[in-house]
Amino acid sequence: MKALIIILLLVVSTAVKPQDKTFNFNSPQNIRKFADFLFCDKDYLRSAIEYQRIHGTPGDDTLRFKIALCFSRIKNYLDAIDNFSKVNQTSAYYNESTLEILKTNFLMDNYYGVRKYYLNEFVNINTKYRNEGKKLFNFSYLFTEDPLPEMNDFLIPFDENEQGQISSFYNWKKDPPYKSSLLAGIMSAVIPGSGKIYVGEVGDGIVAFLVTGVFAFLAYDNFQANHTTRAWIFTAAAALFYGGNVYGSVAAAQVHNVKIDFEYEENLKRYLEKHNYYTPNYGFCDEE
Amino acid sequence: MKSSLIILFFLLFIDAFGQNSFDEQFRLAEELYQQENFFDAITEAKRLLFFDESGNYNYDAYNLIAQSYKQGAKFSDAIRYFTLAEINARNKDELCKARTDIIRVNILRRTTNRALKLLDSLQADKRFADKKDEITYWRGWAYIFADEWEKASLEFAKVDSAKELAVLTKQVDEELYSVTMAKTLSYIIPGAGQFYTGEYLSGLLSLGWNVLWGYITIKAIVDERIFDAVMVSNFLWLRFYRGNLQNAENFAKEKNLVISNKALHYLQNEFSGLKP
Repeated sequence: MKALIIILLLVVSTAVKPQDKTFNFNSPQNIRKFADFLFCDKDYLRSAIEYQRIHGTPGDDTLRFKIALCFSRIKNYLDAIDNFSKVNQTSAYYNESTLEILKTNFLMDNYYGVRKYYLNEFVNINTKYRNEGKKLFNFSYLFTEDPLPEMNDFLIPFDENEQGQISSFYNWKKDPPYKSSLLAGIMSAVIPGSGKIYVGEVGDGIVAFLVTGVFAFLAYDNFQANHTTRAWIFTAAAALFYGGNVYGSVAAAQVHNVKIDFEYEENLKRYLEKHNYYTPNYGFCDEE
Repeated sequence: MKSSLIILFFLLFIDAFGQNSFDEQFRLAEELYQQENFFDAITEAKRLLFFDESGNYNYDAYNLIAQSYKQGAKFSDAIRYFTLAEINARNKDELCKARTDIIRVNILRRTTNRALKLLDSLQADKRFADKKDEITYWRGWAYIFADEWEKASLEFAKVDSAKELAVLTKQVDEELYSVTMAKTLSYIIPGAGQFYTGEYLSGLLSLGWNVLWGYITIKAIVDERIFDAVMVSNFLWLRFYRGNLQNAENFAKEKNLVISNKALHYLQNEFSGLKP
């Protein structure tokens, strides 16, 4: 009987309690594990909140860095910079933090901030990623209207296999294939449609030339034939097409230039993203 | 000795089945959900799932996360977690509920084709033969969000408990303007489509412009200036005629949008039945 009871007790206590019933979800260790999981699951906001709950744990110098990374990845750049700049000098991620500050300024399109931080702080404190920092510093000139450094100086930090692409970015920036909106307008004022052809819209240019010409001829012809009502209608139509064509040529040149700028910036950003803004892979998650 | 053993066994039994930390964690997530603190509800449910090795909470926690995402209009995330709930369903009812929830989110985010496809597959599954009315009900809602009020009305008419919706959707369908009718009227008499949609001034203007350019074209033909007639008709009359057709179509669509939105507003705020 006794043995039976003991067996019963044993069975109940093992079968009904498969998990520790007093599990502490909020111990610093478990918060850390959960935050790491969220980080790798790309749930960065929750991950940052969890890391912040245990920030200050002695002996752990990666928390501040990971918090900053989380903010950077959810595009909360100001908090990211704030946290990167608070990473302790003794931390294993100190050099990485300064490089990440440069990257974050880039992501914020704050190119003057990139240069200011690089010249005033980065070159003095970063011992590990000087070349990467210099690359970002040089890249910042490709995004602004400031005078470019000499080509040879500009290419120094880049590897040989990168220099071809960087040179083409540099040349493009130095001499962008813009079209003059003033010239386009004047051309269309002299010969309707020619401004459009100059901008590259050949089909539109030919149509504008023909339509304006035909309406002008019809206006003249109707005045000659004393059909004044129709003559004025055709005059108005010709004037409308003529004015529209001059305005359209100026606008087309402006649109062309904006498009050129947009594509150039997109290519630059895509290139930087491909190279992860020259920041290393930290290996916090398997798939990173 | 015997009685003390019984007491010990009883205490142990109660203790063993008592609330453990995992139950409490799930209850915390549920409470946060009830308080409409969906962000924290998701965090706590995810925490539970991360540490729970038994898998006992999988369905409920995934479902709670999905519902929270849905409440926050994060529909793609909601579908992801409803799918996980579906995978972890413990019985036919839970499976059906998870699938229905996925359909409801698809209805809400207006991926109607996907919703209808999922409804078809649910209907084809013999395990859910008793859910026929429910499936028809959600099909009706899918049509509402696809702006197909007539089809919605036909679906709701098949369900006894959805008579109110059948009447409402039928009423909306009858109120809607026919876009084809508006365009056809304007084809025949410029401006007539605008009149049909109640836009009288626009209709008169349209008619006036078309009469003017028509007159000038005909006058040119009478004067035997055919090229003039071609240019006026092509560049002026035809433009105004086409504009008149487009105008009539746009008015009909805009008016229909107002009617649909009014009905959806009513359904959202006044209708007390089950909604997506």
